[in-house]
Amino acid sequence: MIIFKTFWNVVKKYKGTVLLYTVMLIVFGGLNMTTNESSMDFVSSKPDVFIVNQDPGNKVTTNLIQYMKNHSCIISLNEGKDAIDDALFFRDVNYVIYIPKHYGQDVMNGLHPKIDVKTTGDYQASIAEMLLKRYVEVERFYQSRVKEEEKFIKTINQTLETQTKVDITSKLDTTELTSVSRYFSFASYSIMAVIIFVICLVLSSFKEENVQKRTMISSMNYKMYNKKLLIASFVYSFLVWVLFILLAIFMFKGTMFTIRGFIYMFGALVFTFCSLTLALFISTLIKSKEAINGIVNVIALGSAFLCGAFVPREFLPQSVLTLAHIFPSYYYIYSNDLLKTMETISIHTLKPVLFQYLMLLVFAFVFILCNNMISKYKQKLDRL
Amino acid sequence: MFWHNFKYSFKTLLKNKTLVFWTLLFPIILGIFFHLAFSDIEKKETLDLIDIAVVSNDAFHENKLLAETLRVLSDDKNEQRLFQTSYVSLAKAQKLLKENKVIGYVLVDEDIHLTVNSNGVDETVFAFVMDEIKVKQKMMEAFTREETITKYSQGELVDYEKIYRQASQLLQQDTDVIHDISNQNLSYTMIEYYTLIAMACLYGGMLAMYITNYKLANMNCVGKRTSISPVSKGTMLLGSLCASYLIQLIGLLLLFLFTIFVLHVDYGNHLLAMILLACCGSLAGLSLGIVVATLIKTNENAKTGILIAITMCGCFFSGMMGITMKYIIDKNIPLLNKLNPASMITDGFYALYYYDHFDRFLFDVISLLLFSLVMMILSFHELRRQTYDHI
Amino acid sequence: MKKVIEVKNLSKAYKTLKVLEHVSFDVKEGEILGFLGPNGSGKTTTIHCILTLLRFNEGTINIFGEEMKPDSYELKRQIGVVFQEVAVFEELSVFDNIDYFCGLYIQDKKQRKQYVEEAIQFVGLEHYKTFYPKQLSGGLLRRLNIACGIAHKPRLIFLDEPTVAVDPQSRNNILEGIKKLREQGATIIYTTHYMEEVDILCDRIIILDQGKILAEGTPNELKELANIEEKITVEVTNMTEKIIEGIRKFKTVDQVMFEEGILVVTYHKGKNNLSQLVDYLKENKVVYHKIFSERPTLNDVFLQLTGKELRD
Repeated sequence: MIIFKTFWNVVKKYKGTVLLYTVMLIVFGGLNMTTNESSMDFVSSKPDVFIVNQDPGNKVTTNLIQYMKNHSCIISLNEGKDAIDDALFFRDVNYVIYIPKHYGQDVMNGLHPKIDVKTTGDYQASIAEMLLKRYVEVERFYQSRVKEEEKFIKTINQTLETQTKVDITSKLDTTELTSVSRYFSFASYSIMAVIIFVICLVLSSFKEENVQKRTMISSMNYKMYNKKLLIASFVYSFLVWVLFILLAIFMFKGTMFTIRGFIYMFGALVFTFCSLTLALFISTLIKSKEAINGIVNVIALGSAFLCGAFVPREFLPQSVLTLAHIFPSYYYIYSNDLLKTMETISIHTLKPVLFQYLMLLVFAFVFILCNNMISKYKQKLDRL
Repeated sequence: MFWHNFKYSFKTLLKNKTLVFWTLLFPIILGIFFHLAFSDIEKKETLDLIDIAVVSNDAFHENKLLAETLRVLSDDKNEQRLFQTSYVSLAKAQKLLKENKVIGYVLVDEDIHLTVNSNGVDETVFAFVMDEIKVKQKMMEAFTREETITKYSQGELVDYEKIYRQASQLLQQDTDVIHDISNQNLSYTMIEYYTLIAMACLYGGMLAMYITNYKLANMNCVGKRTSISPVSKGTMLLGSLCASYLIQLIGLLLLFLFTIFVLHVDYGNHLLAMILLACCGSLAGLSLGIVVATLIKTNENAKTGILIAITMCGCFFSGMMGITMKYIIDKNIPLLNKLNPASMITDGFYALYYYDHFDRFLFDVISLLLFSLVMMILSFHELRRQTYDHI
Repeated sequence: MKKVIEVKNLSKAYKTLKVLEHVSFDVKEGEILGFLGPNGSGKTTTIHCILTLLRFNEGTINIFGEEMKPDSYELKRQIGVVFQEVAVFEELSVFDNIDYFCGLYIQDKKQRKQYVEEAIQFVGLEHYKTFYPKQLSGGLLRRLNIACGIAHKPRLIFLDEPTVAVDPQSRNNILEGIKKLREQGATIIYTTHYMEEVDILCDRIIILDQGKILAEGTPNELKELANIEEKITVEVTNMTEKIIEGIRKFKTVDQVMFEEGILVVTYHKGKNNLSQLVDYLKENKVVYHKIFSERPTLNDVFLQLTGKELRD
């Protein structure tokens, strides 16, 4: 029992670190729920457009603006040049349209006035540009044919009214699932950091040379001692998992108590176990606390960046994803993505997900094996 | 005496593996991660080829406009092509959709029908193109009607083929009225690298903090030893701080070389301005390090923790963990980022890269200098002190 | 003889806690002055005040006849300090550490090199020049600490418990070194709570407790002050209260203590105390085994002055 007690006393010293990563997870999860960037439904893929109108009051111009308003989100911005440029750079707006002076009048007079635009060049900007182009084409087509303003506007609008019928086959609501999936994927970073960091530091305190010597000469069976440390690490990891699951339940009440939710939880547990074995392996390999600090950051950040914990997998280059196969996080995050898009859950459809979990266990097994080999090798060295 | 301190401070700092890791190596490692993770984001925001299917029935072939448009948009010689189109039977199209081989299919009967799997960008574009075709169809109908009536009233023969050709020609005229005046440099992931530079600059403060601690009698015993020596604290610190500044600049130089030549980061075309900004940024980091070392009375580890926390917070607000954060803060709480050295550095590089005038850049440089000055003044009093109540 | 340090009426308090109360003393040129006192008695604080590291509430401090101020660089140049804690750069080698600290005093490179070499020889670290502090054992580290403090050949040296936690060999080495330094003409202030060291090393001793000077003088003067001439310790097997009372009645006996078979009798005066006591014990048929007769130690002095042992 004394080992447990000491273990927790040392863990307590690092509660700040655990808190830090937990807060990060909450902030990230919270942000993800409110902004929902990666949810892409028909409504939200409307481009954000800003219109600088230098021809106010004209009906023809107003109609153009109205058309853009109907098919895109018109953003309100400060009209200063820098404000517009900033907004474009940070994708607050995708497309800026500068309607020149006397635009409406010029159109009615059969001219083709130039429209300046600024674009971010992404797909939403392309959509905005298509909208504008379509309108201008229609406008030009009727320009020479319909001379009367009212009728001209009416004809344009009638022409543009058409919309293709779209059937959507999928019934899966991906919005909440995307958030859940992103939460669990980001949690891979928090879990890994919190577990490796704390376990390595705590074990390094126990394995510090003088402490080690002291325990070697104590009446405690050395094997027993190691076993107890191991159990304490297990309990700690399990509590970390419980903490993050409770957070998930708090944030996503709806999803967590479904079969899908349980599979998410189970996946997190498998990943936690895998992180634990990695932590034990690292703690055998490295003794210096300072080195641990550096290595934990590099491993945790590295696998988070490369496997899609921070940036969704679909945005990562293929080569990076290939490289990411060497990290356990890859399989875990992949399993989350699979779960997200899965329409029906059955033994059959779950196969690929279970395969990822199996891979995690293979990693865990390899870590345990390496750990044993190295600690045996080190013991031999010590005896010599 | 300056050189004596300079030399040994330089040696001390470079020998400290932890410091070297965090100030020199860590930013480069993080840079590699950024590069791996972000290099494709912007590319993937532009449209990839979209896989679609078309139900190849009679109605489709009769709709020449649709068939032709799809042919052009799927033509692999066309650089702006959007679609990868398979012409199949309805059953096959449904199968392809179910297997996610295509994002949707078109079925033409009296109208054009679109069936897609889910909501998404590709689906939106697909629907959009179909709308476009229908609009053109309407105009074409209008034109044909008009022409037919004119010809008919003039008693001429109606040549539908000719009218159709005319109509398509009319519609294919490019609208050259849209004039793109966008800035060229729009790659927002650059902000990530700018925050990385900001982080490196501020982490450099660790060096200054570490070496300043060695001069404070109430911080560690080496500090006591230096305090009783016949050298004024000012002289001693000057040498040491210059050494730490030099290491900071060397670290930044490495980071710049690495990001420019290996990661292909674009810092704009103003080399001198860039160097000036890096120097001012490092100075801000250095002065932040001194302030933490002198004003905060706690042990060395806690000081390091505080400095890292300040740096990471600053980087968070200037967009390291999410680029839009910088914009949100700039737009809603501008004061916060005007006081945040990480944001000053990030914003300076942003201004160099994106803006065509230097006003904003100069504002950032002056802010950094002011920040450094204020930090120095704050710590000056504490540094001048030579006797303590407690040790 | 010239006074090297003159401390008058030095007082320091942290809020209401008084750590030094009206401490006054002089240090004469060429002497080794011992500061003796238990942990927390104010030894280190006094030294820190003299070095102007700490502020104090009252009093004056003169060194070499001049007032000591934080910017008295010419005075500081002649002072060397060996702190209680090992004060060296972890990142610098043995040689670099000594060279750095020496360089703060000695600008001339050639001279400095010679001084550094001499200091290394002095503490016997010739074989460890390129070692880093982490690689040195506790005793060697202490020696490095001393070398850093004295490499610039100061005229006035403060040694603050330089032998704490040091093996006997290194300790003898250090004590020999201190004597050598004095022979070379340095004045030394030495704080410790080991009485044996003070006894063999110091010309003069100041005993401090709870921020006050309790006594001052040469070791012999202090022992006389304690009013003890002789102390006899006898191992006995049978003893009664009556016999103890009998011993107390001797004229020269000061104190009699009996605990667990050990009888301790202290005398403030007299000759033939031992034979008198032995005779008395024989008379009363007390069986005795071993008998020691000693001169009093500084520990007895301290005990007498404060009522507590020096070492806890």
